[in-house]
Amino acid sequence: MKSEKKSLDRARAKRSLETLFDIFSNISNHADEVFTKRCPYKNAKSRCTAKFECKNQHYLKKFGEGPVCTGSDFLDYRSAWSTDKKISS
Amino acid sequence: MIKHEGLKEEFKYVTKPDEQEHIGGLFANGDMLMQEIAYNLITGQNDQVGILVKKALEEDYSANIVLDDGLIAGMAIVGVKFRDNIIFVPEVLISARAMKAGMEHIEPILSASGVEPIGTVIMGTVKGDLHDIGKNLCIMMLRGGGFSVHDLGVDTKPDEFIDAVMEHDAAIVGMSALLTTTMPNMGTTIEAFEDAGMREEVKIMVGGAPVTQEFADEMGADAYGANAVDCVQRAKDLATSNK
Repeated sequence: MKSEKKSLDRARAKRSLETLFDIFSNISNHADEVFTKRCPYKNAKSRCTAKFECKNQHYLKKFGEGPVCTGSDFLDYRSAWSTDKKISS
Repeated sequence: MIKHEGLKEEFKYVTKPDEQEHIGGLFANGDMLMQEIAYNLITGQNDQVGILVKKALEEDYSANIVLDDGLIAGMAIVGVKFRDNIIFVPEVLISARAMKAGMEHIEPILSASGVEPIGTVIMGTVKGDLHDIGKNLCIMMLRGGGFSVHDLGVDTKPDEFIDAVMEHDAAIVGMSALLTTTMPNMGTTIEAFEDAGMREEVKIMVGGAPVTQEFADEMGADAYGANAVDCVQRAKDLATSNK
């Protein structure tokens, strides 16, 4: 609830930041596991969020949410990331 | 008690009794504004999180309350959903971006109370490389670990790293590469710092799927991070060695 204006309990804040770091560490450790079996750019709707071309991207005219990932999670997805297209920035 | 309808739905993903008790406890006082912050963080609405955190602080909520009952409570649910494969890395990073938007209002209060950032880190994926997810996870971890981080994004040229170090007075640079073809650009960037006469002032750490400790040593990097958690420890080591 509301309390004294913008006051900060420093010790409590430090504990909070440690808690946040623990949450992020768990996320990061789980991400290392997930990376071995699922492309990290593939979101929960199986849409590709990568900013680069990938052979597994399949564009659907009907939907505007970015390309569908057609990659098999059983294969090493990373070989699909190398394309001949030059980077323009 | 959870009153926010959207948050009620999100809380259904928390199924373990101990987590229900712990995370549910953070919402026990039924404060609607904190629940709105948590919900918007979970759904990745970064603009909204920034607005709501600012509003809460203006309405005399303490930074501790906003941090614990709004931002961290929301992030705890994100962590549960990720662990249980309901969401994946892209969604987590969107929530992390929302967390950052909220923290931008909390950090000045932390600093004023003596909770200062450990150091400033410049992060970027090297020139020619557009793969950013590992870098983004590292940035999330570094921020969570108490660092101030400036993200240069992908395809970062050596000059851009140098300019950012000067602009932000950063002591640490983190470079990422995913492709074996772009890894050598880490070495090119290190050489650019040498040519600019800045190599002694800056500690450089490197990482990315194909990067190894041997490669990092060969290039003359100061540290190699095997993953995002390791990256924070290496950055802490470098920050300590700079003092």
